[in-house]
Order: sequence, then structure tokens, then C-alpha cells
Amino acid sequence: MINKGPHGRTVSFATKNPHSSASFDSKYQVEFLLIHLFSDRTSSPPMSNNPIITLNIGGTLFHTTQRTLSATGPTSPLASLPLPSPSSPPPFFDRDPDLFSHLLSFLRSGFPPPSSLLPSLLAEAEFFSFPPPLLLKLSLPLHFNPFSLSPSLSLPLNGREHISSVSISPSSSVLSVARGCKVTTFTPSLLHKSTVLTPLPFIDTVLPLSPSLAAAGAKDFPGLHLVNLLETSPAKVLHWSPHPSQENSSTVLAIGYSPNLLFSSFESCRRNSSAILAFDLEKFEPVLEIGRKEIFAAEIDTAIPSTKLSWINNLGLLMAAGSHAGPAGFSGYVKFFDTRSNRLAYEIQEKNSDCFADVAVSDSLLSVFKIGVSSGDVYMADLRKIQSFDNWVFIGEGGRRSGDMKRKEGLGCKIECYEKNVFVSREGEVEMWSEAAMAEGEERVMKRNFMGRWKEGEEKKKITHLAFGGNRMILARKGEMCLEVWQS
Amino acid sequence: MSTGMMSMKTETDMERDGRRVRVNVGGHHFETTTRTLPLSDVGDESASTLGEMTTRMRMLMLADSDESAFVDRDPSLFSHLLSLLRTPHSIPPIHQLQQQLIHEASLYGLPVLSRFRSALAPPPLLGYDSSLSATLLPASNPFVTALSPAPDGSVCLAHAGLISSYDSALACSSTLRTHLDRITSLSRLPSPHSQQPLPVAVAGSLHHPGLHLYDLARGTHLGSVLWSDPSDTRLYKSWVTAIAPSSSSSTSSPLFASFEAPHRENCILCVDPETLQVMGEIGRQSGIAAKSAAAGRVVHLPQLGGAVFMSSVSAGAFGYSGYMRLWDPRSGDAVWETSEPGGRSRNSSRFGDSFADVDVDGEQLALYKVCWKSGDVAVADLRKLGDDPWIYLSDSDAVAGAGGGVSSIVHCYKGQVFVGRQSGLEVWSSAAGSWRRNWVDGEEEARRGVVRHMEAGGNRLFLCRQGLDGVQVWQTSCFSHPTSLSLA
Repeated sequence: MINKGPHGRTVSFATKNPHSSASFDSKYQVEFLLIHLFSDRTSSPPMSNNPIITLNIGGTLFHTTQRTLSATGPTSPLASLPLPSPSSPPPFFDRDPDLFSHLLSFLRSGFPPPSSLLPSLLAEAEFFSFPPPLLLKLSLPLHFNPFSLSPSLSLPLNGREHISSVSISPSSSVLSVARGCKVTTFTPSLLHKSTVLTPLPFIDTVLPLSPSLAAAGAKDFPGLHLVNLLETSPAKVLHWSPHPSQENSSTVLAIGYSPNLLFSSFESCRRNSSAILAFDLEKFEPVLEIGRKEIFAAEIDTAIPSTKLSWINNLGLLMAAGSHAGPAGFSGYVKFFDTRSNRLAYEIQEKNSDCFADVAVSDSLLSVFKIGVSSGDVYMADLRKIQSFDNWVFIGEGGRRSGDMKRKEGLGCKIECYEKNVFVSREGEVEMWSEAAMAEGEERVMKRNFMGRWKEGEEKKKITHLAFGGNRMILARKGEMCLEVWQS
Repeated sequence: MSTGMMSMKTETDMERDGRRVRVNVGGHHFETTTRTLPLSDVGDESASTLGEMTTRMRMLMLADSDESAFVDRDPSLFSHLLSLLRTPHSIPPIHQLQQQLIHEASLYGLPVLSRFRSALAPPPLLGYDSSLSATLLPASNPFVTALSPAPDGSVCLAHAGLISSYDSALACSSTLRTHLDRITSLSRLPSPHSQQPLPVAVAGSLHHPGLHLYDLARGTHLGSVLWSDPSDTRLYKSWVTAIAPSSSSSTSSPLFASFEAPHRENCILCVDPETLQVMGEIGRQSGIAAKSAAAGRVVHLPQLGGAVFMSSVSAGAFGYSGYMRLWDPRSGDAVWETSEPGGRSRNSSRFGDSFADVDVDGEQLALYKVCWKSGDVAVADLRKLGDDPWIYLSDSDAVAGAGGGVSSIVHCYKGQVFVGRQSGLEVWSSAAGSWRRNWVDGEEEARRGVVRHMEAGGNRLFLCRQGLDGVQVWQTSCFSHPTSLSLA
């Protein structure tokens, strides 16, 4: 792990020498790039460019440099302190000096502070408005290592409502859980939580956008609701009105997210039209209407709305998938939209017997993964060589327990991609697919890994939701009033 | 940044944060502001033993001096105190330390003490997000029969013939043995001694005559009130069926209690708590029918011109019946009355669905009832009472009144309605103009026993369950309280 310094250097407290903090070797520079995002460490600058700053924190004087403090970002009061002058007293903050010394030590070295102090330190860091990446670095010192994930925490949830959606904001690492009409939000450290009631009677999908805002939708209640996570007043409701006679009545089936757009899959209340809408993340005005469909004759494809939306950052594409279970079996589609030109880039039709039960896209592997509904097998399709048909490459068996072909092995299985791995939940177990180390130029090989320890006679409840963020995997199990947190 | 801007900023900071306070506690220098440490300009030396010190601190503060006042106290305790004042509701210290810190805070005067107490107090109670935080278990006779909480979060419990008082940190501070064998109604009055936080307990029993007042601080019996009438010798040994909870913090507000004589004649007496003289008698009635039975609940409403609300419920083989009445104690007339089954609902589908329990929200001037047959919850506006003022609360959830309302109880607190049913404890809270129903307890918790008594105060909900000893304390927490899953 990265937290072992090569020299075992200790962090000195209230250092007066500005050069001492600039004496890291090149390995450190890469590792602490996140922290010293705003500083340039490649050359040792003259002292005048990095002046010493004196701070008065709750009566104790601290000496540090402007560069150390500049890592706290433009919003922090620490980053824009005045230069010292003989006439003015040092800037004063009415905070605890002991806690501040730990924060300063973290800013100087990047070493994580003692975990016992973490709750208080996070509160201090929030007071000094540290940016989310830095807060995350403070609370999650470890990196995501899929091979060392193990169950570590159980987060209890109040009340009796079942978990209907679990999601982690990629930008702020806030975890949101929807249950009944309420949304519970956990801070990145998972130590603090808050719950708000929403106007929705039953939330089906939730996505946190920032520590104070989440988007929530329901299959049976109109509108995409922006929920204010800090108070109960709703922030805004976004509607899609496909026809003048069906105003503000469309329901939400899926919510997606790109660095600057919020996507939502809407279906009109009469279920005769559907579309994906993109909203900008500042004013939440509709920007695009993607892939609008109106029911046409008896063609089943026109009636299936998208129920999964994922953004592929490396390609600038939006993946939208939907499926339908009819008397003739399952059918569905996976579509890829180019949001700049607002057109369909390519599409995978799922008309064979083994339609997907769940599908996920990996940004770093540039591939789509699906789990077949009847076989339970895992398939991969490379996004760089997509064809008009037969894209799926079989990568692993679903562990068919019986020869019964009518049994839908993949039903209820979940698939999620995180970093370079693919996670598949089957009943109470999670399996992880990772890329095998191959020589250059060879074909990509995905291998299955079983996660967690198997204990004799232990019956685990079925996994209903999977979410990833930071160094964590969050699991929700059927009927359990808690979230399971796996950490590496 | 120019120095001009900086000086402007410090001036606005001064207005917002208050004056700077420099203090030397046991050799350690601390610097804070009056916003954190509210040292009032007006002295309250009587309440503070360090009066001289705080006066000196105030003088130095007013003079904007660089000198700091010396206080011969433990610096580590002061540092702890200061952190909790800076970040309220942060990690609560262990109980023993809490007591020590409260004592330490009291040395700096009443404003500091009250701010410190509110920093330790639980956050606002949200019924839909509360968890069991403690169980108060009296050491002897732990079956609690009546309870009376205070706005500061402290509570008095009556268990058999004992009255125990728990302080705002939920530590048992006193236990008193009364001559009663089974106390069935309990209320409290503010302490007559300004230095003493312990209240005066007002207790009554269905099995023993009289209303009894006890000074919990001194452990003495202050006196008894008996209902007597020189012209009617039948009024012999009448007992108390209900006592109105204390509605204001002033010691002079009258005390209302419902008395019943052995031949079932009953009335409400208005008692002066200082002289223990009967000031008036309201609504004397024969008690021979359910419509004139003794009140099971009496509530004094100073917000409604000092009106007194009373209700009585009788349950038998044919269901429930009862009445509720609103009295004007000045004229001694009933202002409004309804009895069920009967009234307007005779012709509606609600006939026969009379109330099983009713409670008054004195702040929002509303009545909440729960119906015994359907289990539905209804609200009535106390300012617009008429023949049929009830509006039935509904959630889109079809099973709102599931399980019926037999032996249900209702309690309202801060605009939320708690309903204890056979199936568990539910809460109704209003979100965006509509009522939402949520469960407070989990199924496992509800199976332990039906809620028999329920009172809320100081953002805590106190519950007694059938067949379960002790009192459960439910409160909202901003901490997620994770439990470890890692294998030992």
C-alpha cells in the first residue's frame, strides 16, 4: 500500500523551514498528486514564492507555508490567507488547536491521521471547507483493492422499510439509500448519517449528486425529484411532458450521471412513449431528449423503456438498456448514444433466448458485460469492435445447478463494473471477474474470483443491491435492515 | 489580498462571531470568541463560583486587551468543553466525563452552562429516523407504570410505588419511595429551588386516594390534595385517574387532575401547586355511563386561552366508546364536546369506529385520534371544531391501518404523530403537504411487546412495552453507529 514512506520520515509539527516540506522524492510526488494538486513540486522554488504563514488557532500559533495551505482548495478560508505583515495580528480561527495540528500534519505529509480521531477531524475539515477529494483522502486512506475486499462493517437502518435503491456519488463519495418514502445519506466516512422524507410515496431509484442534493424517482409517481438532503423541503421536480394532454405525469425508470449532465429515463403515464432526458447539473434545465420512442403497432421494441443508464466517459457515450419479459420470453436492447450529436452510435439487440438479466459497462475495460437470464452465464462485448450482430463473447458459466433448461438461472442477479473489475451477485454470494495478466498483444482473458469466506452451514440472504465507491463495496440483502460494507 | 479587505473581513467576523476571549486555564493559553463561550456582559455572579474570574475575563474582553485572565482549572477539561461548544452534537463524551464537564461549564456562568447542555442534547427527534439509544432500567421494581419527561430530556419514572428521576444525560439521579403501592399517573412541576434541577413530582394512583406532591431533591412529601365537598359526604377517598402534564415552566401555573369517587362520580380539580389549595372544580358528573366516566387524559392548553381538554375511553365486549370535551376553566362551561359512537358519524361508514385513544398537540392546536376498528388516524383543528372536524390521514400505502386499532395509543410531538399498535410503533409526519407513514421500530423490536405508555420530551421518545421492564429511549442520531463484521 502507498502509506509506507520510503524514508520513514516523521512529520514535524509547526515547522518553520519552508524547504523541509518540499523534500519528497519523485515517488512521493506521484502518490500525493491528489493532495498537492495545486502546487508545483518539481523544482525547489525560492522562499519568496512560498511565504511562511502564521495562524492563531484557538490561542495556539501555527507556522506553515502558503503552499501547504493551498492544497485545501479555493473554497477554504485557509487557502486565501493574507501574507504576514508586522502590523497585522495572525489570522484567528476559533477551533481546537490539537485537532488542527493533525489536519496540518495531514496537509503536510498526506499520511492518514489516527483513526480514533477521524470523526472529529472530518468535522474540522468540513469547517475549513476541504474539497471532496481531500475529504475522501482523509477518511479513506486506503485504495480499492478488489482482491482484499472483506466484510468489515454493518450499517444499521432505522424502521422497517425495505431497501429499494443504493447508490454512491462518484464525485463526492456520499452514499444514499432509498427506503419507502425516505432517503438516508451517509457521509464519505460512513460515520454520520441523515434522513429526509421525500414527496414520493415509494422511491425506486436514487442517485446522490452532491452532499446536499440527490435525484430520486419512482415508477408510479411522476417527476424526477431533486431532494434536498439537509432539510425536508424539496429542491425541485423535473418533468417530461411528451404530449400536451399528459403534462407533468411521466414517471422515472432510471437515473444516470455524467460529469456535467444528469440523465433520466422517463415513461409517459399511459406507457405509450418513453425517452431519456439530459439535464445540466447547474440549473437542471433539460438539454437533450435522447432516443424518444412512441408505441408503434404491435412492435414490442418500441414499448420497452430504458431501465439502466450508464455513462462511458472514455468514449463520451451513454449506455441505455431495457428489457421486457413476455410470453415469448425475454427481449431487450443495449443502446449507445452519442450525446454531442444526439444520435444512436450502436445498438445490441437481445432477441435470443438468453437476454440479459442485468448489464453493466466498464469504462476502463471499454467493454459491456451481461449476465444471461436463462443460463446465468457471464458474457462480454468489446466496445471497440462492436458489430451489427453476435457481439457477446462467453466468458464464464453461471454454475447451473440442474439440467433444467426452463429455470431462469440469471433472474435477480446483479452485475456492476468498478474500476477494472466486474462484480456479479448470485443469490447471497458475490463473484468478481478480473482481467488475467497476459503478454502484450494477446487476447484479453477475464477470470472469475470468489469473494469472502465460505462457512459450512451458513445461509446468506439474497443480495438485492450492489454499489461501489472509494475503497468500498456496499451490499444490501433481502429483508435485512442494514447495509453490509466490504472494505479493502 | 489587500490588507484593507482583510480588516473589513475581521470586522464582519467580529459582528458574527462576537468578541475575542483570551484565557489562561491552568497554564494553557486558549483563545476563543463570545459566540463559542457566551460570557454575558451582565454579571450573574450569584450563579458562578468563579464570578471574580468571569468578571475579569469580561473586563479584559471589553477593553480588547492582549492580557489573558488566569483560571486555576484543569486545561484538558477546558479544552474538551471548548470543543463541544464549538461543534455541538459531536461525539458525546462518556457519562462520567459528561457530569464533570457540566460542572466545569457551570463555573463559567449560566449562559455557558445552557449552551453546553444544548450542545450535549440529542438532535431534533425525527420519528422516521430514530433508533433505540438506551433502556432505563430501575434497579428495583422495574415495571414502569407512568412516566413524565421534561423539555430538557430528563424524565421521571413511576415504577410500582417508587419515583425515579433521570437527568438529561439519562443517569439516575434520585429514587423516592412513596406510600402508594402502584402509581398510575405522574406529572412534574418545576423545582421550587432555583439551584436544584430536580423537579417536584405529582403522583396519583387508581388504588389509593389523593393527589400527592413530592420534592425529589429533598425526598420529602410536600402534601396531598383530596377532593371533598362539605355538602356531599359520599365524596370519600376519591382517587386520581389522570394528571395534566405540566404545560409551562412557571411554578404558578395551575395543576389539573381528574378525580373519581368510589361511587364513580368524577370531576377535574384545578389546584394551586404552591399552596395546594383547590382553586376550582370543573365538570362534575355522575360517572354512571360511558359518557360521563372519569377522564383518562387531561391536558391543559395555555395556548388556547387556558382551555382544558379531557377524554375518556371505555372498552368492552362490543367495542370502544368514549367522549372528549374541551372546558373553559374560567366559566366552567364545556366549549366543545363529541362522543363516539354517535354524532355526525352515525350516518357515515365510520359509525361504530370510535376512537381508541386521542392526544392533543398544544403547540400546533390539533387533536389526533386513532380509531379502534379500522386503526385509522384522524386529525382535527382545535380552532375549527364542529360536529365532525375529523380529517383522516392517508398514505398511498393501502395497509395504513393494518391490524386495527385495538389497544392502540397515540402521542403527538412536534408535529409528528406516534401510534403504538399491536403490529408496532408507527409515526406520521408531514412532507410537502401530505402525511407519510413510517415505522419507528423494526419487526423484531415490535415482537417484544405492545407499547403501553409513550411520552416524548427533549427530543427523546420514551416507551414502555407490555411485559418488558424498563423504559426504552428512542432518539434521532446523526451518527451511523456501524458495527464491525470482521471475523475475530
